[in-house]
Amino acid sequence: MEDIKAYIESGILELYVLGDVSPAEKLQVEEMAAKHPAVKAELDEIERSMEAYAKENAVEPAEHLRDRILNSLVTNLADDATFDKAPQSSAAKIVAMAPQKTNNFYKYAFAACLALLLASVAALISTYNKLQDSNTQIASLQSSNSQFAKTVSLKNGELEVYQDASFKFIKLQGMPKDPHAQMTVAWSPARKKVWIDLHSLNMPANDNAHQYQLWALVGKNPVSLGVFDKTADTSGMKEMQPTAYADAFAVTLEPHGGSKTPTMDQMMVIGKF
Amino acid sequence: MSKRRKISLSEEELVLALKNREKIAIEALYDMYSSSLYGVISRIVTETAIAEDVLQETFVKIWHSFSAYNADKGRLFTWMVNIARNLAIDKIRSKDYKNQNKNQELENNVTFIDEQRNTVYNPELLGVKDLVETLKPDQKSIVELVYFKGYTHVEAADELGVPLGTIKTRLRMAIMQLRKHFN
Repeated sequence: MEDIKAYIESGILELYVLGDVSPAEKLQVEEMAAKHPAVKAELDEIERSMEAYAKENAVEPAEHLRDRILNSLVTNLADDATFDKAPQSSAAKIVAMAPQKTNNFYKYAFAACLALLLASVAALISTYNKLQDSNTQIASLQSSNSQFAKTVSLKNGELEVYQDASFKFIKLQGMPKDPHAQMTVAWSPARKKVWIDLHSLNMPANDNAHQYQLWALVGKNPVSLGVFDKTADTSGMKEMQPTAYADAFAVTLEPHGGSKTPTMDQMMVIGKF
Repeated sequence: MSKRRKISLSEEELVLALKNREKIAIEALYDMYSSSLYGVISRIVTETAIAEDVLQETFVKIWHSFSAYNADKGRLFTWMVNIARNLAIDKIRSKDYKNQNKNQELENNVTFIDEQRNTVYNPELLGVKDLVETLKPDQKSIVELVYFKGYTHVEAADELGVPLGTIKTRLRMAIMQLRKHFN
């Protein structure tokens, strides 16, 4: 019984009544009260005195509050009568569903973002490839265009030869070294221009160590007008070095790069006015 | 002004009626206990409108969780006042309440501080005045803190700067004093 007295005097019962105990202490007090009538009686005393104390300290709430509070309870009462206990469980289910929904939303949003990203990357890659193709096409068009421009300016030069009346055409005939050799030279003494027609050139192709050299014979002196090559696919016309005076034109086969004076026994063709 | 007749039942009758979810039980419950509960709530939550909300929440909670009340474990009022005190403490510790207090107008604060300092005569506390005479000042302060301010005894010990054991003894002595007074 000493234990019970000490327990009562520990002050735990007062704290229990004031709701200031841990759940474990609460259980313990309730157990003790159920076992020992003395504890139960003490608890009851404390409760009654605190209740009386609260009554002494009572504050009457505003008159309008009574209707407001009672109405809110009666509304609940009606709900309870109508639905019994079912609404509570279904409400709980709805609460459980809500976070699932938001989760799903973010999942879908993430998937959509990912799909969008992949689509964008694919579109970007194909656009990049197209751009590369276009760039290649532009480059090849540019190079062929400049080739055309070159060709056109060359052809213009060639055309000039035929249109300009000051040009004279001289047929150079084969020499004993190659009697069948033939060549045409166009010369404008007024404009000092010399062209050779590679297309109608009929001479054997030269090797890498040798080149043909064109000479203008002024009186008895040969003047070099430059070298040219004859290969299998040589075509078109070629402009040579200018000269205002010439009595005759001749071509000799010389070492690569040409010689200062013509090697007479290597003379291929010659043509005089 | 015709004063409405208040309904009053014995505690046993009231508990039975509440268990049976009778409408009259709600009215009786309100008439018998609203002022005692509001006395506790309004000392913790000083703002009238909020204290009134807490009183309403208290009755809603009592009504909804009445099946949790066990008469063998204690008196009805003890159970109810703990609900009221906890709701009131939750309210003043809530973010909303704290923010609201931060934004109070200066004018409101004047009366608020006056209320806190008890410089204004409050006729509703008239009864307490007599009662306070029966308690020694150190007993009174501990009862005030724990019962009306919602402090735990640990917080009260911290606030008053005394050991936990002393707090428990003082609280017990104070309640003994009250028991003597009321019997």
